[in-house]
Amino acid sequence: MSFTFNPINEEKIKKLWGEYPKKESLTLPMLWMAQYQEGWITPEAIRTIAARLELSPSHLFGIATFYTMFRLSAVGTYHIELCQTLSCALCGKDALIEHLGKKWGIRPGETTEDGRFTLSLVECLGGCGGAPMLSLNETYHENVTPESLDALLEGLS
Amino acid sequence: MIQRIVSRKFDIPDAHRIDVALLHGGYATLSKAFAMEPDAITTEIERSGLRGKGGGGAPTGKKWRLMPKTISPSYLVVNADESEPGTFKDRQILQYDPHLLIEGIIVSAYAMGADHAYVYIRGEYKAFHDRLVEAVEEAYERGYLGENIRNSGFNLSLSVHRGAGAYICGEKSALLESLEGKRGHPRLKPAKPECEWYFGHPATVNNVETIATVPFIVQEGFEAYRAYGTDQSPGTMLFAMSGHISRPGVYELPFGLRMMEVIDELGGGVKNGKKLKAVIPGGASTPVLTAEEAEKATLDYETLSAMGSGLGTGGMIIMDEESCMVKALHNLLSFYRHESCGQCTPCREGTGWVDTLIRHILAGRGDETHIQTLLDVSKTMNGQTICVFAPAVSGVINAFVKKFRPEFEHYFQRSEG
Amino acid sequence: MNNVTITVNAQTLSAPEGSILLQVLLDNGVSVPHFCYHEALGVDGNCRMCMVEIEGQKRPQIACNTRVKEGMSIRTLSDSIMAVKRSILELELINHPVDCPICDQAGECSLQNYYMEVGLYESRIDRADKVRKAKKVDLGSHVILDQERCVLCARCTRFTENIIGTGDLVIANRGNHACVTTFEPQGLKADGYAMNVVDLCPVGALTSGDFRFHQRVWFLKSDPSLCHGCARGCSIFIDHYPQKYGDDLIYRYRPRVEREVNGFFICDEGRLSYKNHTGDATLTTPRYSGTAITLSEALELYHQKLAASGSGVVALASPSLSCENLTALRDYCLQYAIPLFGVERGSFDETFGDDFLRLNDRAANRSALPLLGISEDESEMNAALCAASLVLNFDNQTPVSVDQIHFCVHPIDTRELQIPIAPYTEQSGSIINAFGKVQKFASTIRRRHPVPPLHELLSTIKGLA
Ligand SMILES: Cc1cc2nc3c(=O)[nH]c(=O)nc-3n(C[C@H](O)[C@H](O)[C@H](O)COP(=O)(O)O)c2cc1C
Ligand code: SF4
Ligand code: SF4
Ligand code: SF4
Ligand code: FES
Ligand code: FES
Repeated sequence: MSFTFNPINEEKIKKLWGEYPKKESLTLPMLWMAQYQEGWITPEAIRTIAARLELSPSHLFGIATFYTMFRLSAVGTYHIELCQTLSCALCGKDALIEHLGKKWGIRPGETTEDGRFTLSLVECLGGCGGAPMLSLNETYHENVTPESLDALLEGLS
Repeated sequence: MIQRIVSRKFDIPDAHRIDVALLHGGYATLSKAFAMEPDAITTEIERSGLRGKGGGGAPTGKKWRLMPKTISPSYLVVNADESEPGTFKDRQILQYDPHLLIEGIIVSAYAMGADHAYVYIRGEYKAFHDRLVEAVEEAYERGYLGENIRNSGFNLSLSVHRGAGAYICGEKSALLESLEGKRGHPRLKPAKPECEWYFGHPATVNNVETIATVPFIVQEGFEAYRAYGTDQSPGTMLFAMSGHISRPGVYELPFGLRMMEVIDELGGGVKNGKKLKAVIPGGASTPVLTAEEAEKATLDYETLSAMGSGLGTGGMIIMDEESCMVKALHNLLSFYRHESCGQCTPCREGTGWVDTLIRHILAGRGDETHIQTLLDVSKTMNGQTICVFAPAVSGVINAFVKKFRPEFEHYFQRSEG
Repeated sequence: MNNVTITVNAQTLSAPEGSILLQVLLDNGVSVPHFCYHEALGVDGNCRMCMVEIEGQKRPQIACNTRVKEGMSIRTLSDSIMAVKRSILELELINHPVDCPICDQAGECSLQNYYMEVGLYESRIDRADKVRKAKKVDLGSHVILDQERCVLCARCTRFTENIIGTGDLVIANRGNHACVTTFEPQGLKADGYAMNVVDLCPVGALTSGDFRFHQRVWFLKSDPSLCHGCARGCSIFIDHYPQKYGDDLIYRYRPRVEREVNGFFICDEGRLSYKNHTGDATLTTPRYSGTAITLSEALELYHQKLAASGSGVVALASPSLSCENLTALRDYCLQYAIPLFGVERGSFDETFGDDFLRLNDRAANRSALPLLGISEDESEMNAALCAASLVLNFDNQTPVSVDQIHFCVHPIDTRELQIPIAPYTEQSGSIINAFGKVQKFASTIRRRHPVPPLHELLSTIKGLA
């Protein structure tokens, strides 16, 4: 299984190449592109990016594992990242975890059997003013209650 | 109480679009700034007493003076990593008035002679990232960025760079490592104060709000800024409230207000009419205050640091009488354990151990020696690491344990009974 | 740089201004526990172990990130600094298995040494739940990693990243889940220098798959020597085990610091070349027609063959022989008017050299040949070989089609006469490396029945002639 960037990403890479004094700075942008393109960062993507940036694949792996948003395995179609930090904890994140646990029969870190939903617990997302809050496929939802969560999930295709 | 310096356009619909922003005075500072000597702008900022709003409160003008003028290119890097728990102010600027940030970047870069600016924005802020990128594109189209900005002869390019989930990348040297495409490991501090470095070239790192404050000071003069706040904490800041508070949110306030006045009058008091137990005054890393201390506290650097805490990012986390302080500390310690970059021993191993100790206490397996070990490890984490992440954790632990010790003891009494 | 005066525990030292304090202390024999700093790798400041007290500074400072200044006053032994070191070491050990009895590093482990030095006696490690990691990872190139023993000093990763530039090793994850690893399984190659990470690793996290568990280090004797694997002549230690009733056995080679030649490192091939010089890898008795014979029988045969060949005798010398051996050989050949050549076909290996240490010239002492007047003219040698009826081959690998008598270190698959000569590990001598540096080496390995070095053997032969 090989990996190549699609033409849109190639275009972006070309543009970014001129925006930084050294190509190493493209490491995070290229990992992001690979993740959006494939859903996760595949070993092949690591090798490809390493070769493009003239870095070792190990070096790239060290970076991909440092940043928690980079995924080294696939997640469900819908990825809920629920904030577990203090303000959200004070405002009821536990009730949401419990609710989803009952609804889907999964624990944080797991994906539903049909591969539709993954639940992750994450650290403060800067949405404390709307605690408890979560991010669903990178969109913030604040002041979440079990009921509003159900409504949100029902609206998904 | 509320002031409108950086939040001036927050309530104007669509102020994130350049046309709307321009209608309401967006980019108006540029003509004045470009007519000034770059150094005169720095002097103006110095006189205003502007202090960094990223949590450290360092004097901004003094920092700009550290940029050597002899090495080119040089860089202005704006810190939009905003990951300190309880902090959600910079995103307001990104969301409601991104052009104010761009305007501030242009003026600041001109003052310090930077050729290129980067905004490093936390990966989770996808929506705010996209909004800023749009604004940057608009600014390029209208000639506010790029070559010869508004016929000033000044050139500046601006790129928006996304992080990918690492609290420590908010620390300025870790941020630069990350911008260089590496793991976000903070760098060793130099023996004497100097600027930061991006690939061996001079760089200044400033918080979003700091930079967004610059246009006001340049436009209205340093005295106008000093008209707000206190002598040592001049001006205003975006204060935030979250946790057990009736009206959570972000409010721009002059420094020096009484904390309880803000909590009660703007925040509507503790949620559900409960009594206050504690307040974390400026983001998770500032030591917690008891309700009695909160009564005495005012929102400025000098008072809070005299109380053994700090103003930090101005993000207050309010905890009501029913909050368990052991669980609250455990929540924070799991955060720090998760976010330590893992480079230096006292922090890497210390954050893990203190988290474990609290877990043991919560499970009813603790005794006096757990608290003693907790305080000992906390001591080792203080002042002996590469960056101030670990010392901050140490301060957090000490405050919780000292101020709420009976709550910890309550847990091990339970296991005996 | 100016020299300045500093005080260390009330003792006065002189050191170049601006030099690294930790290095100055170590060079002056002041013991300072440290993990991450290494002279070859520079300052990283991550272990926080090298804390010292500096007069006028509120907090203890790491000595590796401190530059020497005139009048500096340093304490490394006060109660307060010992307490600091103890507390940091305690954290270093919190996730460490402390399984010294079964650790291969025991006896040469910094962690173990510092533990004794700093005196960390009372353990409360039971109050922590250790993070479990992989115990035996084969990183490749004979390097085995125990992630639980690793103190994350990043010496190994900085070596592959900054010294070799391949970046094969990396620290993955973060916080206390951080661990050293490679991306590809067995991905550590480091361009043929991988095993240096074993020496760099201050604890038992990286061990040599070649050496591991073969011998406890405290039974080993280390002696300085020179690698003969190529024309650089790297300085090494030969770690060997003196058996009571048998030959010394070599367990490993390790690099020995020699700034002008190899710095702190050696190549893996050189490191593993000890195998060619230990146990029964070398020839110990003369052989003829596939059977062992005595030395006097061999010399008898030698003289017969020599006499039978008349003037058709040509001698070939290995350009790896020591100066002493080459001199004796040259004199011997002059005395008996035997043409001598120092050309060795196949001793240049275009695939071996690199821009670090390894050189294409695989001969250890070629630079001595012109100085000793030994011919390096290949066409003359070819002509001489064509006309020859007998070749005296002194450990030279050049393929020859006429009848030969071999004076060799290693057994050769031939029915021809082979007379053993001692390997460099079993004699003293000198070699001149590709850059003209004359280096001496001493005999390190004892055998119960020693094989004579070539120059000794030649004097015996002379006596008989
Ligand atoms: C652990 C840690 C996290 C930090 N996170 C942030 C952050 O998210 N945003 C920020 O602006 N500054 C953060 N800082 C402070 C920065 O290091 C730096 O001081 C700041 O960006 C400078 O800008 P200012 O002077 O304008 O505040 C952090 C510091 C530390 C030690
Ligand atoms: S104190 Fe913690 S976060 Fe800072 S460099 Fe050390 S390990 Fe990393
Ligand atoms: S394996 Fe050894 S050298 Fe490498 S980081 Fe761990 S302790 Fe240091
Ligand atoms: S570089 Fe040459 S001399 Fe040095 S260790 Fe390798 S083979 Fe031996
Ligand atoms: S604590 Fe949940 S978003 Fe900040
Ligand atoms: S040797 Fe100084 S910090 Fe590691």
